[in-house]
Amino acid sequence: MPLLELESVTKIYRQGDIEVRALDNVDLEVSEGEFTTIFGPSGCGKTTLLNLVGALDRPTSGTIRFQGRSIGGMTRAEQALHRRHHIGFIFQSHNLIPVLTAYENVEFALQVAKQNGRHADGDRVADILRRVGLGDMLNRRPNALSGGQMQRVAVARALVKEPKLVLADEPTANLDSDTSREVLEIMVRMNQELNTTFIFSTHDPMVMEYAKRVVEIRDGRIARDERKV
Amino acid sequence: MYLLRIAVRNLFRRRTRTLVIGGILAIAVVFFLLMESLMIAMMDTAFENVIDFETPHIEVGLADFFDEADNRRTLPLNKAFSMDGEIEDELKQVPGFEAKTAVLDFSAEFIAGRYDFPVQVRAIEPDTFGDVFRHEQYLVEGSFVEPGEPGVVIGSELARYFQLAAGDFFTLRFQDREGSFNTMEGEVKGIISTPHHQVNLGTVFAARDQAVPRLRLDDDAVHRWMIRLEDRGLAQAGAQHLASALVNPQFEVRSYRDASEMLVSMELWGYIETYFILGLFLMVGIIGIIAAVILSALERVEEIGMMKALGLREREIVGVFLFEGGGIGVVGGLIGCAVGAVAVGLFAAYGFDMGYFMDIDALAAVPMGDTLYGAWSLRSFAFIFAVVVLAALVSSVIPSYWASRKDPIEAIQHR
Repeated sequence: MPLLELESVTKIYRQGDIEVRALDNVDLEVSEGEFTTIFGPSGCGKTTLLNLVGALDRPTSGTIRFQGRSIGGMTRAEQALHRRHHIGFIFQSHNLIPVLTAYENVEFALQVAKQNGRHADGDRVADILRRVGLGDMLNRRPNALSGGQMQRVAVARALVKEPKLVLADEPTANLDSDTSREVLEIMVRMNQELNTTFIFSTHDPMVMEYAKRVVEIRDGRIARDERKV
Repeated sequence: MYLLRIAVRNLFRRRTRTLVIGGILAIAVVFFLLMESLMIAMMDTAFENVIDFETPHIEVGLADFFDEADNRRTLPLNKAFSMDGEIEDELKQVPGFEAKTAVLDFSAEFIAGRYDFPVQVRAIEPDTFGDVFRHEQYLVEGSFVEPGEPGVVIGSELARYFQLAAGDFFTLRFQDREGSFNTMEGEVKGIISTPHHQVNLGTVFAARDQAVPRLRLDDDAVHRWMIRLEDRGLAQAGAQHLASALVNPQFEVRSYRDASEMLVSMELWGYIETYFILGLFLMVGIIGIIAAVILSALERVEEIGMMKALGLREREIVGVFLFEGGGIGVVGGLIGCAVGAVAVGLFAAYGFDMGYFMDIDALAAVPMGDTLYGAWSLRSFAFIFAVVVLAALVSSVIPSYWASRKDPIEAIQHR
């Protein structure tokens, strides 16, 4: 059974009288452990696809199944719990909580996943931060970190609860190319070490070098779906 | 706990905002604590002075006497009863009974030299008067009234008005039971200076056995039994107990509160005023908290979006903002209680001269001394702290829900 199945998924936004078909009848299956890039120009529907898969939004029509369970019909609270336990997010603008240190930002995600943080595992937090190369910056607040370092914290935060699926929306868009490579290499390594499934969107051709599978979207439809050998 | 940690850190991060809004709440707390301290001290002093110098815990008299005394300027001489009558035994059965004495009050003109002044003469039983009242402890000159001896004790302000000292002569002119004018003459035996202005100015004390023949009343005629109990708190229940125990319906029983309508109403209006002003301060604070929570939510839209992406439910996000709103209340409450404790402490230690903000004539209407000392009330501290924190929490509810309902996608992208 695939980890994720999208069946005839359509998402339409209405802006006044105008209908915008962000996704149009998309079918997609993603297996556990895959490292998939959703590729395409701006406005093609990449972010919409990730939002739907991440249960941040609902499709206008079609079905999205995660481990065989439909997530489209969940209540808001159920969607929140689904995200809490199964999904890790990495955003373009890392969105770290500014009043928490790097360690605390990662610990926070683990505490949320562990139901109000009664048994947050400090070793795991420190370990994941060491793995992303921030072992000596645990107590720094976001304002004392560079853009690349903040994105590494965001990667660590997404991975610390060992989710089945990590969704990364343009994770390198705000980074220079060297830092982008560093972050991508970390994600590849995590994919290999933890067998975590990654889906990330990008319009940067350099990023695709790291993907095992490239799904290209144009005008809300899948134009290409290639697996690298 | 992690939500609390985020809330506390944000309060600290925005400490200027926290302190400004907390400061407004702190002003409300300090105002309330000082007003409460003043009110408690004022009312405690006033009621204690009423009990010690005017009407003790319970008084019993004919209902007609009270009716006429309440509605006429002169005291009704003919509404007396026999002190050796039926009710004396019942008085001792009142729970907490400590002592009793009988008094006969009548209106008179106090005359010395060319001047006269309207007074109330309280004809007392000197043997038992001191068991119930405290006047004798405030004797500043001469001696107190003795049984079978002529002469009167007057208050210090009356003495000052007439420039009298102990041993000086006086005349009391009054109407007897038949309406004929009569007089009592003699020496001022003593002068008292009590914390009760009206007693010092308008009451004259004489032995009942000296007054009764001149009033053409029976030897055992009295107007009221005055009863002192062990504790002020027993007065209301004691009065009810006695009222139900008395068989003769002509008698009426009053507690000191029944006899002090003006004070009771002053107490009520004092509290209404205090709570009204407190409400105004709190309203300003509440508006500040609402604004602070909304501002905080607007500044942290992306953070809210991230929290949603991490899987926090709306009620947990509400919790973060409620903790922050409540935290401002806690800060304001703690600062207010700390400053209030210092202010009340100074007020209690050094007192406050009421003459500074109250006309001395108006002060005379309230049975208390010129200087008032603040009263401590831990209940007031606990109450106002709880009110401020609760008000802060309640005022945070709507903006917190508003923040938590933000669409996660729009919040993450900060649209």
